[in-house]
Amino acid sequence: MSQWVKEDMGASLALDCDVELMLRVKDGDGASFALLLDKYRVSVTHFLYRMVQDQPVAEELAQEVFLRVYKSRETYEPAAKFTTWLYRIATHLALNWLRDKKNERGQERLDEVAEDGPVRELPDRAPSVEQRMVHRVKVDEVRRAVAALPAKQRAAVLMHKYDEMEYSQIAKILSCSESAVKSLLFRAYETLRVRLAHMA
Amino acid sequence: MDCPIKTQENREWLLDYSAGRLNRQHAVMVERHMEACPDCAEFVAEQRVVWEALGRWEPQEISPDFNRRLYQRIDQAKPASWLQLLWRPLVPVAAACLLLVAGVALHTPAAPPRVETVEPEQVERTLDDLQMLRELALTPPEEARTSQPM
Repeated sequence: MSQWVKEDMGASLALDCDVELMLRVKDGDGASFALLLDKYRVSVTHFLYRMVQDQPVAEELAQEVFLRVYKSRETYEPAAKFTTWLYRIATHLALNWLRDKKNERGQERLDEVAEDGPVRELPDRAPSVEQRMVHRVKVDEVRRAVAALPAKQRAAVLMHKYDEMEYSQIAKILSCSESAVKSLLFRAYETLRVRLAHMA
Repeated sequence: MDCPIKTQENREWLLDYSAGRLNRQHAVMVERHMEACPDCAEFVAEQRVVWEALGRWEPQEISPDFNRRLYQRIDQAKPASWLQLLWRPLVPVAAACLLLVAGVALHTPAAPPRVETVEPEQVERTLDDLQMLRELALTPPEEARTSQPM
């Protein structure tokens, strides 16, 4: 049985072209690293941004993620999907940063309304000033609701919602069981349902 | 199908159904169950509001120089070349030599200030001259004139 599982896992990893690229990086192929960077730069930075809610910090952490990937290329072993490994590094850095920040300042900023909010101009039909303000207020509410979640719940929600990850992959990234991830998500979404109920 | 909320079994199906990610077969089961279960129907309705609200939150653009900065950091983290490795131990030695030279230059005693020396003979001559001048000053002018040869 375990042999079958190993073979099955080996087969699925063989299909993971990211693992293939990373193995080439291990052999010194810089172009493969560039491909992985182009493929995941945006999603990793966006994940980190939603975790720490500070764009310069998110970019700094994202750089650290890819720097660590590059530095550990020689010891890389394809034990899991490449994205599992990548997001494990990203989550680890984000959780550490949040812990350090919490130690530094407490959690007072979590409920602040950020001045440099991530609100983009609404496309096309030139929304009115009022519509833009309403949109901004709603986005700020979402940001604050997510920021108020415990860090691990936040990470689970972000990977589930924005990166569309399976429960099993989130479990591997957070180093916990699949049922623990489901519990994390249920608690997190329950909090969000209460906080965002008025947005219906 | 048992109620996922009451039994805690397959309750993730409700999350997946709300997100539109549940496979067709399970989705049909959830829909049939919701027709008879207002709790699950309410859960799905509220979860869809959350899902939609989260969807409004778009992240910021990434800096255009992200890759350049990253490759710069990678270059800095790269191990040094053989030339750098050879040069590296010499750097402290060179610095020490430089400090030594600077120290020597700063601590070399400056030339002593020039002191005028006066020879004893010169002093003696000056005193004689002064004595002579004093005597001349004391001599009356008449006497001086008569004493002169005709």
